[in-house]
Amino acid sequence: MMRFNTTRFGELEVDNDRLITFPDGIPGFPDVKRYILMDYRDTSLKWLQSVDDPDIAFIVAEPKIFSPDYSVKLDDTVRQYLQIKNDMDIAILVIVRVENGNIVPNLHGPLLLNAENMRGVQIVVEKIS
Amino acid sequence: MLVLTRKSDEAIKLGDDITITVIEIKGNQVRLGIEAPTGVRIYRKEIYEKIKSENIIASRASLDEFAKLREKFKQI
Repeated sequence: MMRFNTTRFGELEVDNDRLITFPDGIPGFPDVKRYILMDYRDTSLKWLQSVDDPDIAFIVAEPKIFSPDYSVKLDDTVRQYLQIKNDMDIAILVIVRVENGNIVPNLHGPLLLNAENMRGVQIVVEKIS
Repeated sequence: MLVLTRKSDEAIKLGDDITITVIEIKGNQVRLGIEAPTGVRIYRKEIYEKIKSENIIASRASLDEFAKLREKFKQI
């Protein structure tokens, strides 16, 4: 078990196997490497809460909600970086925010999570298919 | 910043594993060839910077914002 403080949710306690490691952080937050995902029963929105910095948390969701055909090509770079053994282990999430009352998903910067080893990365997608 | 002058077909090395070659120079455009180990992620800087600034804004999401999004999601 691991205990850590968060600005929004107070003190949290999670099993170590729920920790997701972004080995290089994500753009803007290179030193924030460990996160947890917080799911809810009644919504497909989730929080991606940092373990290393109590202030940092992202609202995330599956991209297919916004763009049914959305897919990400797992190239050799990503395969090696996340040590992917099976494509089925990869979950794709996008960061979502509200701007002027509109939902804005960041489809250009999806987060890829490898459930098998709990490694994550944010990649840059220049063209959305 | 280190500044080097290179001609077409000339290259620079970054450490032992990364080579950047000037493929073609045309007007104000330069085509570059990049050889790097497969684990190295390479992006156009302006797109990387856009993702970075989006992340910084998004990292400040509040519980209130989550609640509003949750309401909006019910309508999708």
